[in-house]
Formats: sequence, C-alpha cells, structure tokens
Amino acid sequence: MKTLLVIRGQEYGWLLDMLPGVHPMLVPICNKPFIEFLVDFSILAGSDAIRIISDGLLGDVERYCENGGRWGIEISYGSMQPADSLDTVIEKNRRFCLDGRVIIISGFLFIRYDKKSDYASLFASLPAGELHSCCRGSISLTGNPVEGTNFAGTTSFAQTALDSISTYYNLSMEILKNELTNYVLPGYGSEADCFIGRNVTIPKSAEIKKPVMIGNNVQILANSVIDSNSVIGNNVIIDRESVVSESIIMDNTYIGEHLEVKHKIAAGNLLIDPESGSSIVMEDPHLLTSMSQSKATGTVLRRIVHGIMATLLIILQLLPWLLLRPILGMQGKWKSKKEQYYTGLQGKTFTLSLTTIDDNGPLGTLARFLSLDRFTLFFRVPGGALALIGNQPIPVNPDIRIVPGSNAGYRPAVFSYAEAEEWPEIGIDREIVEHYYAVHCNPLKDIAMTQKAFFNRTH
Amino acid sequence: MNINEKTINNYKILSLQGILNASSAPQLKTFIAGLPDEQSIVVDLENVEFLDSSGLGALVGIARKKRTSNAVVKLARMNERVKKVFEITQAYTLFDIYDDVSAAAEA
Repeated sequence: MKTLLVIRGQEYGWLLDMLPGVHPMLVPICNKPFIEFLVDFSILAGSDAIRIISDGLLGDVERYCENGGRWGIEISYGSMQPADSLDTVIEKNRRFCLDGRVIIISGFLFIRYDKKSDYASLFASLPAGELHSCCRGSISLTGNPVEGTNFAGTTSFAQTALDSISTYYNLSMEILKNELTNYVLPGYGSEADCFIGRNVTIPKSAEIKKPVMIGNNVQILANSVIDSNSVIGNNVIIDRESVVSESIIMDNTYIGEHLEVKHKIAAGNLLIDPESGSSIVMEDPHLLTSMSQSKATGTVLRRIVHGIMATLLIILQLLPWLLLRPILGMQGKWKSKKEQYYTGLQGKTFTLSLTTIDDNGPLGTLARFLSLDRFTLFFRVPGGALALIGNQPIPVNPDIRIVPGSNAGYRPAVFSYAEAEEWPEIGIDREIVEHYYAVHCNPLKDIAMTQKAFFNRTH
Repeated sequence: MNINEKTINNYKILSLQGILNASSAPQLKTFIAGLPDEQSIVVDLENVEFLDSSGLGALVGIARKKRTSNAVVKLARMNERVKKVFEITQAYTLFDIYDDVSAAAEA
C-alpha cells in the first residue's frame, strides 16, 4: 500500500498569510505538525511509501519529514502545476502509482481517525474509487483489493477541510477536549488531558488547568495561569501573572507579563482572533515578541568583503563620476529618482535614490559602461544597508503585498545576480537566478559575480 | 555531457548524462537547435550529476523557445540533486515534471 498526498498551494494560501514563517503543512495541531497526522493515518492504513505532491515549496516539509526513516517508511516529494487535475498528477507520478494499491488524499484535509481501528484491513478490502469527497478535497483508492482480505468491522474516518483560521482553531480545541486518545501524540501525559513536554519550568505559584497541552522548553513564570483548553507550543515563555485561556500559543512566542490572552492564537508578535480572522501585530516587545535566532556569522565575513569591494569601486569611480556627472546633468541625461524599498529585514523599508543615464551619446555610453549610475549606491554597502551583489531591491508597492523577508535570503544589493547571468532580467527568470545564488554563493564567488555583473550590464 | 536520443510517440527523449553547467549548456542548446522547432521534448534528468544556474537557464530558455513554437518541454526522472536546485529556485513552476519517461511521452 502507498499513499499519494496532493496538497495545492491555493488550498493552504490563507494560512501562509495568517501565520507567516511556518509552512502550512507543518502548522501544529495540538502538539504535532499537520503533516504528521496524515503520515500516521497513512501508516495505520498500511502504507509503506508516501509521496507528497504540491505546487508550492516543499523544502521545509522535506527537512522535517526527510525520507520517512523515523517512521519506518519511505517518503518522497514531487511537484505539480497549479492547473493540474488529479488525473494529471497521478499520470505524472505513474511510476509511484503503478503497482499495488494507492490511497490518494487530495486537498488540505485533516483526517479524523482513531488509532485503535484497523484501517489496514479496511483499505486493503475496499474497491477502487472515491471514498470521501467534498468541495475542498477527496480521498480515493486505486488498484485492486488485496486478495484474501475481508473487512467486516465498523471502522470509519472523516475529513475536515482546513479552509479558515476558525476551522483550524476549532479543530485544535475539539481534539484537545475530546479526541486526544484517538491520535498518536508525542510527549509525556502524566494524566488524561494533560500533556507536558520536556524541559518545562512550572513554579509553585503558577496554576495549570486541564485539558492542556504544553510543548518542550517552556517557561511559565510566577503566578501565571494556564487555563483549560490551552495549547502552548515549544520554546515559549509565559511571563509572570499572565493568563492564557482557550488559546493556542505557537512555537517561539513570548507572552509578556500581566497579560490576558483569551480565545486567541498568538504566533510570534501576531495576535489572531480565530472567529473574525483579524490579527494585530504587537509592536511592543514586552507584550508579544518572536524570539528569532541571530544571523549566521557567515554574513559578517560577506559584509566585510562587500564593504572592501565597494570602497575600491568608489575610489576607482570617483574621478569619472566627478567629471561626467555635471556634464550629463546639464545635458539632462542624468536622472535620479527616490523611492522606498524593502530592506533585508522583514517588513522594514528604506529610501534609495536610483539613477538612470541616457546612454545616447559617447559620454552617456561611457558613464553607463563604468556603471556610474550605481556610484551613490556603493556608499550604502559598507554600512550594511545594501549588499554589493544580491537581489534587485524590491520597491514598496501598497497595492501588492510582498514580504521579501519570506523569500530565501533576500538581500537588496547594488548589482543583482540576474545582471551577472546572461538570463533575461525579468520576472520569474530573475527570481530563479537570485534564489539560486542566495543559497549557493559565498564571499569569494560574490567578487566574481560582481565583476560579471559589472561587465554584463554593458552588453 | 552525453546526450542520448530516442523517440517515443512524437516526443524526442533526451537522456542527459554528466554535468549540466555553463560549459555544457551550449552543447544542449546546440543539440536542440538542430531539432525542428515544433518538436516536443522530454528531458530525462536521472543521470545529471550536477546542475547549476547556467544549466537551469538553458532548460528555461529551451522551454520558452519551444512554447513559442507550440511545442512542449517536459522533464522526467529528476534525481535528488537536480530536484534540490528546482526547489531552491522554484523553477518547477515552469515545467511539467514526471517520474517516468514513458508517462511523460504519453501524456
């Protein structure tokens, strides 16, 4: 038996907007990521191989699930186009689906199951075809029933489409209140309805009421109350005299002191009302602040190299700039425009003055050949506002919601990697090149790429 | 890089073997330029040992060129190394990717 999980980006897009920073397939339901429930269900159904297919990024999911070794199964990953029908997806994964029975779970569905039931016999004996279906997804079977299996029990399962934050909240609460024993959940349960993870500090003055679920590395400080129906994630601090009630506190969240979080979802510095879906960003770091890791030390070396290179380029270009800038300015061939751009820090912006040179004429051509239009930008490199080479700065556009920090390694720069490559500097092509080098570049390679960009621009 | 060629249905199946980078990408481009514009292609990537930005650029360029001639370029049997590059760059959005060559040629 195998399982094919087909989950489209558009089905979980709402969750990306709601809880940025965590892949929707890894969003925790009680104390376990969503995808693990599907993996567990597949294993209970007798699967020894699972393939996860999506038209969105699967990197985080792959890093979490890896090859499935820890579950004793094989997990592989595949991609699809957003417009692909389920039949097309099956065709694209023909080798996987070819032999034996395959359970196909399509949609961002949570499957309600009971770990005590015999799903392996059920799925082995059912005829091929659609088993469950709703507008948000379906569960179906391919292949012939396994000979000799005859299931006469009353095992059943149901599906809940995760399509809004209120569905997510209600599902978590229902599981916490009534269905905990149905699922395979990690952690130590000292008594029913009370799961407490490793390395949890609870002072005598704190109060905890069941049902509750507390993750690993959690500090609950003096006189705090964790009221019933609360889910606390990993790496959370509940500061003194705060009350958490009927709420979900996501991983890496700090709840400040003297706060009452009731019927809410707290994730980093976001506080979400599950009923209305509205969220507010808590600016005050003493209220709710995400605890992010410090930047890698490799970035310091890269910044030093970029700073030295930029200083050298400033020295080289100073004289030509002093000579050509006034002449081209008088000829009206030198135009500068100030605009707001995103910095490398998520949501932060800065002003850049970008220059365009009309290269019609020998002086304009020379100025462009020497990249004098970037001259003023070099001064922003030693301070770290810009990198020498990296991503083309993304302008702030109020009509389009772009969060550059969520892209892999967005670093606004004087030159972009796309300029260094002989690719067209447009749309998806530019993004592909920049994504590639965000992962594969190093300070030494940056020097070579800057040189390449410097000369390629003149083509 | 070695390029082995065969035909299934109306598709040319190009099995690449070796490294697809800046130095071998022109070889692939030249090879495909020798085929009729309207010839649809399946590129078998199982034996590609390394793919860099230039190799990816070549595949994207070929796909774009074929699209203008109403032909298609499909990719098949990506190994883990190649898959990683497509994942990082999100280039998988540009291609139809199959886990089986004959399925790609029949679809």
